[in-house]
Amino acid sequence: MTPRTHDDRLRELLDPPAPPAGFAERALRAVRERDQRGDGALRFDIAASNAGVARLRPGTGRTEADSWRARALAGQAREQLAEYMQGLRSFFTVPVDLSAVAPFQRSVLDATATIPFGEVRSYRWIAERIGCVKAVRAVGIALGRNPVSIVVPCHRVLRTDGSLGGYALGLELKTCLLDLERETPALVGADTTRIVCRHGCPDEQRIGERHRVVFSSLREARAAGYRACRRCRPVDA
Amino acid sequence: MIPATAPRDRGEASDAELLAATAAGDHGSFSALVERYQTRFFAVARRMLGDDAEAEDAVQTALLRIYRGASAYRDDWRPSTWLYRVLTNVCIDLWRKRSRRREKAAGPGTQPTVPLADRVDVDRALGRLPPEARAILLLCYVEDLSYGEIARIRGISVNTVKTQLGRAKRAMRHHLNEANP
Repeated sequence: MTPRTHDDRLRELLDPPAPPAGFAERALRAVRERDQRGDGALRFDIAASNAGVARLRPGTGRTEADSWRARALAGQAREQLAEYMQGLRSFFTVPVDLSAVAPFQRSVLDATATIPFGEVRSYRWIAERIGCVKAVRAVGIALGRNPVSIVVPCHRVLRTDGSLGGYALGLELKTCLLDLERETPALVGADTTRIVCRHGCPDEQRIGERHRVVFSSLREARAAGYRACRRCRPVDA
Repeated sequence: MIPATAPRDRGEASDAELLAATAAGDHGSFSALVERYQTRFFAVARRMLGDDAEAEDAVQTALLRIYRGASAYRDDWRPSTWLYRVLTNVCIDLWRKRSRRREKAAGPGTQPTVPLADRVDVDRALGRLPPEARAILLLCYVEDLSYGEIARIRGISVNTVKTQLGRAKRAMRHHLNEANP
C-alpha cells in the first residue's frame, strides 16, 4: 500500500458523522445555564504568579498571568470560585501569593484563612490571635485591603457586637456570601463508609444521594463516629 | 439590547469580530460562532472520544470556556487556532479522566480497554492511540489544518507534529490491518 492510498483511506475512514439533531441549540442552552450559575465568579479579574493567586477583584473576567503555570493557577481559582458561588464547594485548594503584602497584613490574612467555612469571627479575635490586642482597627484596615477576597475569607469577620462591619467589595456581597455559607453544607459524610469530606472534595461526588449526611464541623462528625477524608483533610479550627 | 460592537450581519462577520462581540456580551454573535463551528467541533470531539454523548459534553464544556474566556483571546493567533486549542484540551482532559476512572474500576494490572468505541473499527483503532497523537491526526485529516496551525494549536513544534503524525498513521495502519486482515 502506498502512502497516498493509506492517506486517502484514513481520510475516508475518519470522515465523521454529522452532529445529532438540535446539537447547536442544546450546546447554547447548556452554555447559558452553566454560565449564569457561576456568573459572578467568572466576571472576576484574577492575577496570578507562579506561586499562586495574587489578586482577585470583581471586574470583567480578565486574567493576568505571565506563564503557563500562573495561567493554570488563575484558571483553577476561577473554576473553584464559580463552584463556591454555586454552593458546590466549601474550600479552596488553589494557593495564594501574598509576597507583595506587608508583614502585619499578612499575619492578619493568615489568621483569617483559618476561620472555617460557615463560621464567623470578630476583628478583635483576629487581633488577639496575631498577638496585637490593641490593633483591632488596624486589623479592619488590613482586611479592607485583602487582595484575595473570598479565597482568604475576610467576609467571615464581623464586629464584636455581631454587626457586619465593612467589606471592600460592598456590604451586599458580604451579606450574600454569609447567606451562601449558611445554606451550603461545610462537610458531607457517607453513612456507608463513615468518612466525612469537605463539600467539593472529588471523593464527595461518589456519595449517593441516599447515603449523604451533612455536618457543620469535624467535631460533630467525629462524635457521630465518622473519620476525616484523607484527600481533602477536613480540620477543626 | 445588542452592544455597539456587535457586527451588523453576523453571517458575514469574521471569527475575530464574532469573538470580540462575544467578549462584549453579545450572545447572538456567540450563537453565530457556534453555528459556524458546530460540525467541525463535533467531528473532532466525536472521533477523539468515540461516543456521541461524550462528544456533546466535551463540545459544551469547550464552548463554555470559549464564551467565558472570549475576552482573553488575543489577535496574534488565528481565532480558529484558539478555538481548536480549547476544544482539543477539553477532549484530552476528558479522555484522561475517563481512563483513570477505567483503571480504578478495573483494578491494577489490567489493560485499559476502549469502551463505547468498540462498535466501530476506526474508533477502536483511534482509541488505542495516545490522546495527543489522536488530536494531531484528527486536526490534520478531519479538519485539514496545516502543520503550522496544528503546532500552534497544540503548543508544540512543527517537527513534533510531523513525528507524532507519522507515528499515529503507522499505528492506525497497524490497528486497522489487524482488524481487517
